[in-house]
Amino acid sequence: MLYTVIEQVVNGIVSGSVYAIVAVGMTMIFGVLRAINFAHGEYYMLGTFGAWFAIDYFDLPYPVAIVIGVVATALIAVVVGNFVMQRIVGAPAEAGVLATLGVALILQNTVILVFGGSYKFFSGGYIEPVTLFGFTLAEQRILIIIVGLIVFVGLELMVTYSRIGKAMRAVSQNIECCAVVGIDVRHIALWTFILGAGLAGLSGVLTAPVNVSVYGGMGELITFKTLPIIIMGGLGNVRGTFVAAMILGIAESLVATYVGLQFRDTVGFATLMLVLMWRPHGLFSAQARF
Amino acid sequence: MTIELSRRGFCIGTALIGLQTISSGAFARSEDGTVKLGLVAPMSGPNARYGAFSLRGAEMAAKEINTAGGVGGRKISVMPADSQGTPVEGVSATRRLIDQSQVDYIIGDVSSSVTLAMQPVAEDAGVLLLNAASSNPMITYKAGVGGFKWTYRNYPTDENRALIVLQYAAEKKGFTKYAVLSVDTDYGRAAIEFTKKYLPRFKSQILTEDYYKEGEVDFRSVLSKIRDSGAQAIIMYGNADSTPIVGRQMIEVGIAGKIPLIGNAEFNTASSIKAAPKALEGAIEAAAWLPAYDSPKSKAFVEKFIAEYGEAPNNHAYVHWETVHLLAKAIEQAQSIDREKVRAALSAIHYESAVGEVTFDDHNQARLPMILLEIEHGKPAIKGAYSAEIDYPK
Amino acid sequence: MTPAESPVAKTGADLRIPFGLALAGLACMAPLFLGNYPLHAIIIALIFLLPAHGLNLLLGYTGLLSLAQAAFFGIGAYASALLAVHFGTPFYLNFLAAGLVAGAIALPLGIPALRLRSTSFVMCTLGFVIIGQAIAKNWIGLTRGDMGLAAIPKPYFALGPASFTVSGTVGFYYLVLAIAALATLAVYLIVRSPAGRNMIAIRENETLAESVGIPTWHYKLIVFMISAVFAGLGGSLYAHYLTVVSPLTFQMYYSTTMLIIVLGGGAGTISGVIFGSLLFVGLTEALRVAPELRMIAYGFFLLGLVFWFPNGFAPLIGRFWSFLERRK
Repeated sequence: MLYTVIEQVVNGIVSGSVYAIVAVGMTMIFGVLRAINFAHGEYYMLGTFGAWFAIDYFDLPYPVAIVIGVVATALIAVVVGNFVMQRIVGAPAEAGVLATLGVALILQNTVILVFGGSYKFFSGGYIEPVTLFGFTLAEQRILIIIVGLIVFVGLELMVTYSRIGKAMRAVSQNIECCAVVGIDVRHIALWTFILGAGLAGLSGVLTAPVNVSVYGGMGELITFKTLPIIIMGGLGNVRGTFVAAMILGIAESLVATYVGLQFRDTVGFATLMLVLMWRPHGLFSAQARF
Repeated sequence: MTIELSRRGFCIGTALIGLQTISSGAFARSEDGTVKLGLVAPMSGPNARYGAFSLRGAEMAAKEINTAGGVGGRKISVMPADSQGTPVEGVSATRRLIDQSQVDYIIGDVSSSVTLAMQPVAEDAGVLLLNAASSNPMITYKAGVGGFKWTYRNYPTDENRALIVLQYAAEKKGFTKYAVLSVDTDYGRAAIEFTKKYLPRFKSQILTEDYYKEGEVDFRSVLSKIRDSGAQAIIMYGNADSTPIVGRQMIEVGIAGKIPLIGNAEFNTASSIKAAPKALEGAIEAAAWLPAYDSPKSKAFVEKFIAEYGEAPNNHAYVHWETVHLLAKAIEQAQSIDREKVRAALSAIHYESAVGEVTFDDHNQARLPMILLEIEHGKPAIKGAYSAEIDYPK
Repeated sequence: MTPAESPVAKTGADLRIPFGLALAGLACMAPLFLGNYPLHAIIIALIFLLPAHGLNLLLGYTGLLSLAQAAFFGIGAYASALLAVHFGTPFYLNFLAAGLVAGAIALPLGIPALRLRSTSFVMCTLGFVIIGQAIAKNWIGLTRGDMGLAAIPKPYFALGPASFTVSGTVGFYYLVLAIAALATLAVYLIVRSPAGRNMIAIRENETLAESVGIPTWHYKLIVFMISAVFAGLGGSLYAHYLTVVSPLTFQMYYSTTMLIIVLGGGAGTISGVIFGSLLFVGLTEALRVAPELRMIAYGFFLLGLVFWFPNGFAPLIGRFWSFLERRK
């Protein structure tokens, strides 16, 4: 009995770490751009497709495919960032919603147009199961958890100590003041966006070996998983997002075990609503950004 | 200035698209004698992964028929229309095919709720709606003598399949305790509904019941629960893209090779088996068709499909390919493209498909053989073909 | 391309009255010169016009961005379908019940949700759609789950001994046109009333509105409920027109469609929303010429809209309108 609960918590942490890497990019983008990015899952999909393309067409090894997936996503993010995201800095929320929905439609259906709509088979990665402390996991999942931790420590260090990280924090707090003191807001917005999209791409590539099926519409589900996490974590709050992702992963796992898998996708939004009833600004005050 | 220009361009572009809609209404029924065949399927968005195979299958069949001289000298042209997998878009697509493109026949949709919404539209217009991939029993409960005389279905319903799988698992394998892990759509839900209907006959029970959302990627929690539940087999009715994921995670939680999958979710395709050979060993599946099916026609289809598109066909590709051929045969036997005559020909048809003879019952439901197979040593082994009459509710 | 009754035609003088009358006339005679397919497209546009009007009251006049319209649309569709299938009640009863049920459910949902600010509110309303779909899928005893409710009867009216059934595209067109015209009139009356001005005050500056004595909280709640009523009514039409209701009715796709109609037409204007619903349904249908490029083109269209027409097409309509006025 206790073993089951602990095992399900471990399962929850495993899925939580995937959500965390995707969500942290989205929350950073929100912090700086003030836009809910409905296209965020599409960058996850692009990362996966980039890696799949590298493996399937050029027979490249998986580590190289990771790099290709992330770089391809980042390149597309440069284009989208320049033409779309920079322009929605300071625009009303509705404009951000429509623009990112437009981007999502374009990215998703372009991929379907180019590669065909049918699902592909991702063959790279380290899928052999290993046993750790009595729990069996695919090697790839351990990699995901480790990379997730590295990403978080790296981001914490970056936003605390690096110049661009400090600028990001400043922009997320007050755009006008930043402009006054000479911070190039559009430049910061662009870089934050590329970083966020790149992280989504990275998580796509990392999870592809365990998720196996690759198809153009796979990003939408991820977007919907991520949205409640970033609100719960306090928009723009990296640490809060990490904790919220873990809470959601564990809650989903327990619901799937004790209630039924069919209720799993409602867990995110149901938890979000309960949390908001209790704390209207999310679990972690949005003031403590980054 | 540039902003102003692009704004103008944007307006003009929108206006042009609008004008085109009005003017395209002027298309008349083609006089060159092509047979216009509409194909409604999800082609954009997340469900595009189902529509893509359908379109390829149908287009390949049309190409084959046309290179062989067409039907009675007429070429078939396939006109795709996007349903996005939602009823309202599906109905719009159907209306457009009927009123603008003036098609005579429609094949569609994959999703049952879209097909149900298309039925009255096709009925009002007197256009033949030939479904090739929806399994909701209601579609043909309401067709033929049930009401919609223009709806036909060349696809098995969930009921048949559920019975065949359960019977084999109980009688040949001696299973009595099952866990359910099916897709949360009308297909997955209905298949389990019918399974439950037959459980008492085999003195069996369901221990856990879970449905996963299409596109779900995380099954570890539910598979751990199944492992601890004492189930002897997992009943899974799902779509092909989930099978490799479930298989790999079965290996992770340590139930691969111990608790087999039974049901239908393309357990038999080479890519599913390759993804998780250990988990799929012993899987039992009832399928309308499978790539490894050993008939000359089926083998030729698979080879040709791979040569054409560079990937192996799935079930949706096959049923749409076969349905276009079936329709062509009906047109040929009617010796006319008159809709009423073709409909009559379809009702009376004896069509030799890649898996056996196809005929239609009085509810316009095809009597189709269902192939039962088991994965043995990493290869699907066919255990027989079953065909059953459907009990229509009185 | 397509005509509609415009409430703005009811004000002013000059060429606007003849033009408005001409539009109304065109709308009434549309079945004479339009085929079934364009009529179908207009019916869909008019069905979506109802929830869009509701969203416009919420977003355009009160300043609250909500994605919950699809949830109330679905609730209305199910309410109407269940009544029609189980009790065979006449259409007007189903229709009104759909609106009432949606409005009644909006009350307990609105009370906690409206306490939230901006982004949290948006996500909470999106949550209603997701949870609504889960309920529709899993409450099988009521909704038949994913099997959906099929064979919903055509709208029929029964008043005393007389009864008649609306059948065929043309009949449905007139039914929907009449309902859309009434709904538009209702929105017009709400907006022009003192309450409408208070709503605009809340949109412009909530704190200020509160300080001059407007009970902002009650206003927001009531507008949220009214918007749900409109969505529920639209859902009822949807159910009777498509004859099928399934959990797919609850999806964000519909919420965003309504949002695009309101923002594209011009939030805070009535004529803009009418224009928007015709334009966007027309556009998605027109793009069917190229199925594989359709959604990509639609995506680019959204981007063009956001960047070149941040206020939607309302300013263009406004210019056209004053052009008509000047010509006297």
